Amino acid sequence: MKVLVPIKRVVDYNVKVRVKADQSGVDLANVKMAMNPFCEIAVEEAVRLKEKGVVTEIVVVTVGSKTAQEQLRTAMALGADRAILVETEENTQPLGVAKALKALVEKESPDLVILGKQAIDDDNNQTGQMLAALTGMPQGTFASEVNVADGKVSVTREIDGGLQTVELSLPAVVTTDLRLNEPRYASLPNIMKAKKKPLDTVSPADLGVDLTPRVKTLKVEPPAERQAGIKVASVEELVDKLKNEAKVI
Amino acid sequence: MAKDAVGYALTALNKMASSDLLDRLGLRKLAERMAYTLTRTGFQVITTSARTFKSAGTPNRPQRLNTPGHTTDLFDLNITDEQQMIRDSVKAFADDVLRPRAEAADAASCTSEETVAAALELGLNFFAVPEAFGGAASERSPVTTMLVAEDLAWGDMGQAVAILAPMGVANALTQWGNADQQARYLPAFASENPPKATLAVAEPRPLFDPLQLQTTARRDGDHYVLNGTKSLVPLAAEAELFLIAAQTDDGPAVFIVEGGTDGLRAGEDPSMGIRASGQRPLLLDNVRVPAAQKLGDDDFDYRAFVDLGTLAWCSLAIGTSQAVLDYVIPYCNERKAFGEPISQRQAVAFLIADMAIELDAMRMLTWRAVCRAEQGKSFRREAHLARTLCKEKAMKIGTDGVQLLGGHGFTKEYPVERWYRDLRAIGVAFGGLHL
Repeated sequence: MKVLVPIKRVVDYNVKVRVKADQSGVDLANVKMAMNPFCEIAVEEAVRLKEKGVVTEIVVVTVGSKTAQEQLRTAMALGADRAILVETEENTQPLGVAKALKALVEKESPDLVILGKQAIDDDNNQTGQMLAALTGMPQGTFASEVNVADGKVSVTREIDGGLQTVELSLPAVVTTDLRLNEPRYASLPNIMKAKKKPLDTVSPADLGVDLTPRVKTLKVEPPAERQAGIKVASVEELVDKLKNEAKVI
Repeated sequence: MAKDAVGYALTALNKMASSDLLDRLGLRKLAERMAYTLTRTGFQVITTSARTFKSAGTPNRPQRLNTPGHTTDLFDLNITDEQQMIRDSVKAFADDVLRPRAEAADAASCTSEETVAAALELGLNFFAVPEAFGGAASERSPVTTMLVAEDLAWGDMGQAVAILAPMGVANALTQWGNADQQARYLPAFASENPPKATLAVAEPRPLFDPLQLQTTARRDGDHYVLNGTKSLVPLAAEAELFLIAAQTDDGPAVFIVEGGTDGLRAGEDPSMGIRASGQRPLLLDNVRVPAAQKLGDDDFDYRAFVDLGTLAWCSLAIGTSQAVLDYVIPYCNERKAFGEPISQRQAVAFLIADMAIELDAMRMLTWRAVCRAEQGKSFRREAHLARTLCKEKAMKIGTDGVQLLGGHGFTKEYPVERWYRDLRAIGVAFGGLHL
């Protein structure tokens, strides 16, 4: 069984991002980049399925610039078998990426596509769903547990107010939530081995897809700074403020 | 040609202009004007006619110079992509596992089994053992080892030492062990449950000199008999394998001693810092070791063995110093006094700037020494320079870290107190400052 794991290169989650002076986006100069944490969870889940003997091959893929090779190598150090980079300098957006992934799904015909529920840079939470819609595959989003057996995958989903378990026939699309697993650390020997694993580069044109952005970013602004709190002298003052300033009682 | 003509004309005009005759004839104004005009037009002629520029075709894009090709070894401090990935992985481990457990490990004076087991996930043990013995190492890599040491110590120096000590033993066996010694000990290091192992070189005496050891190894038939006291031995009470340096008649040598050998005993001496490494004195009372357990054959390089150990301490110091720097910057930017962040005060800002400069200097000296070691070049001098600087500056950075946090720094509620104690160890490891 083959698994396709799409991943994304994003700003490291530890970095405090800054908005560019011209408000065109987030300043990426000299900023540490890393694999999106939800994508790490997706890679880890695929590797665990392989260790269980359910999966035989893990193909990791990303749509992005040449530098995204670093994240593909990391995924291979974690246990993926080979990698595909769809190289583009365009600002990638969910629909374009989903189309590129659809083309790769047709080419690779995986039994399962596991991807992060969203990327921490633009928090779209769309690519997995769009890919399922475009390919006609069933989808199990926000997975906190995944079990594959007898040509089916059962996915426990985190929904408002509880958990929902769905059963999908393969091939299927699964998007990972935070509690699905805890990704391992890439071991030194596996990092050295990752260097020798194959990494193919294709262009969007090779796949016959157009990645031109459909959504235009007008302006990026940092969130408003939170005001410092104040101390009140008495309960009466507190009640007064809650009533007349905050208007919550 | 044009230049010459203008030159002669100007010389003549200048001569004429400075002559008294003009004044007598009332012609000065006219002559000066002539000189001015001719000079100006003359130079214009030169600049426009002396050279013609021809285009060498129209290339598609401007030509820029590339950065020089990789590694000429002089001041190339870039690390490879693999090394960067290793650093990312090790640092994530240090952040997630070592940091949260540092306080407890320090208090317990030992690194927990869970931490040691978690560290196995990084595969450090495999990395130190050649492929032939089931490991994953194909080439010597002191640089990578030092990067690992730095990043682990960034998490916590005490636990880092406990994790790295077995790796140090495996590395030494790989580099110098003879065929029998390697076959006997290395496969165990490349297993799922590698042995706890450690090195014992330092001795508790003033002006310790690793080349003049007081621990003796007396030859007795086909055995050596070891006597003396070793200090600062990590995992001393629990190690299953020791590499112990001792003075023989032919100079210093290193012996492979298995844990539980008669006469081998760990002392009691709770250290001030790096307590999580479980370091204690090691007492040797007539420890009999077969002669075949003397590390290596004739090619054993004791000097390099000692110097690589020194550089490992330097790397640990760099890691923990980096932890201090990473901590004090946001602290001083957020901590307010007199209505503004204390980093606005020059006394504070200068201290932090010095810290950053000294830390980079420590790192560069150490990397240079390790880089030479990796290339098989002599690195004794470089190791000494790195050691001298690291000993002095690591302690200073530790002290300044506490100072910058003021009263907070003096409490156990903030990690700088522990980092201070850990960095203090660098000053005494491998002898005093003034060796």
